[in-house]
Amino acid sequence: MKPLMLHGHERSVTQIKYNREGDLLFSCSKDTEPNVWWSLNGERLGTFKGHTGACWCIDVKWDTSSVITGSADNTVRVWDCKTGACLHKVDVNTAVRSCGFSYSGNLIMYSTDKTMGKECTINLYDLRDAAQMKNNEPLLTMLVSGSKVTSAIWASMDETIVSGHENGDVCKWDIKTGSIVKTVREHSKNVVDLQMNEDQSMFITASKDNHAKLFDLATLDLLKSYKTERPVNSASISPIKPHVVLGGGQEAMDVTTTSTRHGKFDARLYHMVFEEEFARVKGHFGPINSLAFNPDGKSYSSGGEDGYIRVNTFDPHYFEFEFEF
Amino acid sequence: MDDSDENGDVIDEDYVEECEEDYSDPEDFVDDITDEELLGDLLRKRPKETDGVESCIVVDNIPQVGQDRLEKLQMVLRKIFSKFGKIVNEFYPKENGKTMGYVFFEYGNPNSAREAVKMTKGYKLDKLHTFEVNLLTDFDKYSNIPEDWEPPEPQLYKDPGNLRHWLMDNDCHDQYSVIHDGGDRTCIFLNTPLEPRMLEERAKWTETYVRWSPLGTYLATFHQRGIALWGGENFRQIMKFSHSGVHLIDFSPCEKYLVTFSPLPDNKDDPQAIIIWDLRTGIKKRGFHCEKDSVWPIFKWSHDGKYLARMSPDTLSVYETPSFALLDKKSLKVTNLKDFSWSPSDNIIVYWVPEDNNVPARVVLLEMPSRKELRVKNLFSVADIKMFWQKTGDYLSVKVDRYAKSRKDDKGEVKFAGMYYNFEIFHIREKQIPVDVVELKEPIIAFAWEPVGSKFAVIHGESTRITVSFYTVKSDNQVSLFKSLEKRQANHLFWSPQGQFCVLAGLRGLGGVLEFVDTNDVTVMNGVQHDLATDVEWDPTGRYVISAVSWWTCREDTGYWLWSFQGKLMQRHAIDRFCQVLWRPRPPTLLTKDHMKEIKKNLKKYAAGFDLKDKMTQSKASKELIEKRQELMKEFNDYRKKCHDIYESLADQREELRKGQVDEQESEDLEEETIEFFIKEEEIIIDSE
Repeated sequence: MKPLMLHGHERSVTQIKYNREGDLLFSCSKDTEPNVWWSLNGERLGTFKGHTGACWCIDVKWDTSSVITGSADNTVRVWDCKTGACLHKVDVNTAVRSCGFSYSGNLIMYSTDKTMGKECTINLYDLRDAAQMKNNEPLLTMLVSGSKVTSAIWASMDETIVSGHENGDVCKWDIKTGSIVKTVREHSKNVVDLQMNEDQSMFITASKDNHAKLFDLATLDLLKSYKTERPVNSASISPIKPHVVLGGGQEAMDVTTTSTRHGKFDARLYHMVFEEEFARVKGHFGPINSLAFNPDGKSYSSGGEDGYIRVNTFDPHYFEFEFEF
Repeated sequence: MDDSDENGDVIDEDYVEECEEDYSDPEDFVDDITDEELLGDLLRKRPKETDGVESCIVVDNIPQVGQDRLEKLQMVLRKIFSKFGKIVNEFYPKENGKTMGYVFFEYGNPNSAREAVKMTKGYKLDKLHTFEVNLLTDFDKYSNIPEDWEPPEPQLYKDPGNLRHWLMDNDCHDQYSVIHDGGDRTCIFLNTPLEPRMLEERAKWTETYVRWSPLGTYLATFHQRGIALWGGENFRQIMKFSHSGVHLIDFSPCEKYLVTFSPLPDNKDDPQAIIIWDLRTGIKKRGFHCEKDSVWPIFKWSHDGKYLARMSPDTLSVYETPSFALLDKKSLKVTNLKDFSWSPSDNIIVYWVPEDNNVPARVVLLEMPSRKELRVKNLFSVADIKMFWQKTGDYLSVKVDRYAKSRKDDKGEVKFAGMYYNFEIFHIREKQIPVDVVELKEPIIAFAWEPVGSKFAVIHGESTRITVSFYTVKSDNQVSLFKSLEKRQANHLFWSPQGQFCVLAGLRGLGGVLEFVDTNDVTVMNGVQHDLATDVEWDPTGRYVISAVSWWTCREDTGYWLWSFQGKLMQRHAIDRFCQVLWRPRPPTLLTKDHMKEIKKNLKKYAAGFDLKDKMTQSKASKELIEKRQELMKEFNDYRKKCHDIYESLADQREELRKGQVDEQESEDLEEETIEFFIKEEEIIIDSE
């Protein structure tokens, strides 16, 4: 089916996310204004105005009541989804690379960059205690001593956080103790994206080392590995089929020297268990920065360095296709 | 020491005075000092009988002549041997007035003698007389052999096993070598359907690259200290050739000799730049110096490996095997010689010389070893010439770049204008070798003969408008244009080793476009692309083609793809830091022409059997794949079941955290919501009338 092209961002899209129902698609980009769209027809519902720098990350609460964004303007903002009003603003001393709501939506998490002599940290706030954000007194600050965090998500319930690091490490943190429970090194370069499956028992990593890998969330055991020829910027797990979708491509900085075809900006669909690629979706003329399956599993969206978001709805053929086994 | 010496140290003045008067020995004095002690150093310099022996050489196998021709012989020999130093003495032993077939020469110093021995040993004076030269001192050495001397044990013959083992493969699959991991790992694969089978993998097998010998018997690996050859069933080491810094190698077509080249500084007296080895014994046959600006291969072999030739300014030197001496002891003088090549099937050399003032450029066919000029073709207005032999030696195509005008620019370099091009086609097998001319106005990008057959293909045109033309040489020797393919993206031509099929490739700059052409009717069977492809190689049977992207020229997407001869993609191998792939050559077929004809006639009968076999391997492979997948799926499903159980058990906790959320499982009957979107506004003015 012809994809919907959402062109509301003036610069590269950095992250996209669906809400739990899948009717809304949230996106943020380097142009400072996160957007929210109707996923069904690609109409823009609204914009969150306020950031003054590139926006790196976005997340939406399970009940779609509020949205959190992190930006290079050294702030984290929590917005009212309905009105677009900024509910909270936290000043941070560096750019914010990743942020997210916990399972309950009561806690928020964000990670900071290791720049200008500032240490990389993961910070937690309890939204129920308004004073914490107002006075900038986090519930918990976890200092990341080694390689800096390049991606982080809430893991099981409200108890753990999983972080991906610049050196390829994947760590699991216990927020009760504020320390690392386990570290695995399966990647050789930055882990730039982490996404959970629908029942939160597994997660998939996307790394600049051209691989995406599937892990068990409880044990951090490596389950599967998906190999490509280009850096992988994002990977998402289908909620209804044993499929994963990978997106990435030649690094943005090298793109000018190569043709679109050579850059390999296609999204690739792999069988989750057999690790075999079975389809490619063309379209972006720059690397894909973020991918997300619609929670209904019938479509997925990709946001690219080219500034476009493409909503791809699967053809009937996709649902008929089965691997022989 | 004796007393007198000790006294000498404690001489007092009285004693000196005494001694001044009388130097004679006292009567009872006994001279017990030996001459050696007194003037040993002088004695050692005393001329000896054997002095000068080291500077003497003996030359055997010289002609036996009488007094009348002795002077002439002496002149000839003096000329040869005075090159190594001044001859201070010569002696021709005679018997009955005739020389006895050997001569003694004495040089001014032993170095000259040694040099003379080295350089003239085996010198061929004429057909009957090959010099045997030795130092005179060697005779002592050889005559004083200790009595308990034992002859060295003959070296046991080392059985290298069956070196043709790879040809015994039941299904006649071909092998190829692959270097990957940036050069650290080398593998040998068997080209089996679906997936290649790895036969051998070794780390650091070679330091740079590998090469197969022309008949496929040996695999040569390159090392700082020399070349190693591998072969037989398990790729065991067959031979080593120690040549420091070796860079390039070349096998003789018969696989008897190996030529190696090292760019390291050469030894002036003992040429080391190019070494020719006997491949089976590992013995160095001869070393050569390398001149500047040489193009590899410096030595070109005749098709049978009998001769090898090299070019140097104004000379063409042909050497013969196994002596590696100059053929007929002299080089060919060819003023301004530009290039030469051997026919791939006969001992014929073709060379060309450019124009010189009013003398036209010439292309000359020379028969070896007779040096008879078979054909000379004069050409005018020649800027450059390239020569292409057809593989069976039936035709020679000479590409001539010609100009309308030429002038010298300020720097004295010649500039040409109004270029046009033609091919001079020599019909070697015809009487007097007639020549046909094919003219083209456009620049030639590539040219190639069909290896078997009488077609050739030319890529010509400017970069935006490239045409590929196929020509045929008819039985009446007329060369005619068969068909042209216009507007192509190609800069290389690769004919199937069996002829008929041809791959047009746009390598490197042209993005890896590949077109598989059947030249019987010049149709493009398939047009495909392998992004950034750097190399294309046919397998030796003409059944498969490999296109590759090498890490040596391209940092990304390295790997190789395997195609059928019709351009169907069979296998795709993306390999990190893949460097080189080379098919293992096959020796020529043992079937006679009649045999082959018969097989072609009954092809259908044979094909049925092979089709069945293919089907079986395929179904077996797909069965294996399905079994593997079933196992993976089962394992994964077990894992997922555990996950699901855990998920179920945590339902309460989830409910606790998200108060108000209805778990998906419990709410199958979701409310259907109708959403209306405003899509288009249309204004239709209804006519009021």
